Amino acid sequence: MSITPQINRSKLPLSGRIVMFFMRHIQQSMASLGELWRNPISSIMTMAVLGVSLSLPAAMQVLVKNAQEIVQSWDSAAEISLFVKQDQTDQAIQSLLARVKAFPEVNGVHYIDREQALTEFKKLSGFGEALDYLDSNPLPAVITVTPSAEFSSPAGARALLQKLEQQPEVSFGKLDVEWLERLQAIVNLLERTVFAVASLLILAVVLVIGNTIRLAIMNRRSEIEVMKLVGATESFIQRPFLYTGMWYGVIGGILAWLIVNIMVFFLEGALVNLLNLYGSQFNLSGLGLADLIELVVVASFLGWLGSYLSVKQHLKRIEPN
Amino acid sequence: MIKFEQVSKIYSGGQKALSDVSFHIQKGEMAFLTGHSGAGKSTLLKLMTVIERATTGTVSINGHNIAQVKPKQVPYLRRDIGMIFQNHHLLMDRSVFDNVALPLVIEGFSHGEIRKRVAAALDMVGLYGKERHNPIMLSGGEQQRVGIARAIVNKPLLLLADEPTGNLDPKLSMDILRLFETFNDSGTTVLIATHDLGLIARMKYRTLTLKQGRIHGAMELDAESFLD
Repeated sequence: MSITPQINRSKLPLSGRIVMFFMRHIQQSMASLGELWRNPISSIMTMAVLGVSLSLPAAMQVLVKNAQEIVQSWDSAAEISLFVKQDQTDQAIQSLLARVKAFPEVNGVHYIDREQALTEFKKLSGFGEALDYLDSNPLPAVITVTPSAEFSSPAGARALLQKLEQQPEVSFGKLDVEWLERLQAIVNLLERTVFAVASLLILAVVLVIGNTIRLAIMNRRSEIEVMKLVGATESFIQRPFLYTGMWYGVIGGILAWLIVNIMVFFLEGALVNLLNLYGSQFNLSGLGLADLIELVVVASFLGWLGSYLSVKQHLKRIEPN
Repeated sequence: MIKFEQVSKIYSGGQKALSDVSFHIQKGEMAFLTGHSGAGKSTLLKLMTVIERATTGTVSINGHNIAQVKPKQVPYLRRDIGMIFQNHHLLMDRSVFDNVALPLVIEGFSHGEIRKRVAAALDMVGLYGKERHNPIMLSGGEQQRVGIARAIVNKPLLLLADEPTGNLDPKLSMDILRLFETFNDSGTTVLIATHDLGLIARMKYRTLTLKQGRIHGAMELDAESFLD
């Protein structure tokens, strides 16, 4: 009897093994796709479930994307009003204006002196006559500051406000961003909700694929036993199932993309009409080609994951006896 | 090629299947394994193919101590063993060609090589030209021969057959045995488990007899493994 301590890994030379490794992957991935093609009824049902499950997170993605676009266009509405101390000389105010203008965070300034402020107030408040009885002008001079693009977000504008308030000539500043902050909070909540619901649906996708693969494994029990008996490795046996899961993901992802775009197309007319009534110019953007690729990559990974979990759990239990 | 040293197997339920079994089948030998059902024939074959592992004692196949073979290596060990089953274990929804080609596909042979080897194996068992048939369309004897073709297509060092003639008539059984003899002539070690004593009696090969999990009779003793 010959003593050979090492068990032959393969009877092929290394180069042949490398070539066959890729050949086998291509063959098995194609075989898995063919398998789905041959059992259209059950695979179509699974793919439809995946498509619908994935379309909801994708649709929410569209919602968030569009909402962010709207909020962003409103962001630049932030404007800071600085009230100048009463006893400042014209020279001091001019120097303040020059300094503020030189801030990199500032886009532009607009100066309203005390006289202008009073005239404006008279015009707008309706107290016109009554104000004439005052001894002196009670209104301070005001500088309106428009922040640059990076500092027009609520947080940025607030930081700028603090910096401006430190100027000695400034009595106090006012930033009207509360409504903007509320809107952003709502968008944040929306994003969180989308994230939570999407996580649940993604979990559902993994479970659906896992279960489908489990059934496929059970159906091919005897085949798996035979393969193990004639020396197939675990990875060889599990590969077709992993590819099947991946294909489910790919096709489910494409379906979801189609569903969302059909939905966007269906809603767009009504929504644009509504926004036009509010005098707003707005285009509802759907999912583009980049989104399709992203969706398919994510979905195929989920498919692979679902089937991997299922395979790891069920393939080991099938042993020849 | 096959070496058992004081091997015992107790299943988890406490059922004692083999006790203190020792024998040695040389490379290139052909031997029979007999005994009533329940005597431990199947357990013996399962130990050789690492479907089960021995409770005590040492099983060596082709110089590999089975106890030291890791689960990941088991598939590679099995590739050196051609297995033939009473119930064939064929894939009924695949063609004869696909069934026979399975070990070669697993090994990673190229398409051309697979076609050549499958044709040669089917030719050897007398099924040349039936590649496209489904096993379900074949007779019991033919199905068994598909199983044999699958077992030998990878040119294994060792051929294990579990009741290969179980459901066949005497004439067909004899044909199958003659087939095993040709493989043996070309250097393959062959071990056939069968309860068909009439069949064994007509052939001049060594016979291991199992009775209640122990080796019985003198024929199975081989000097080398028992003198020390």
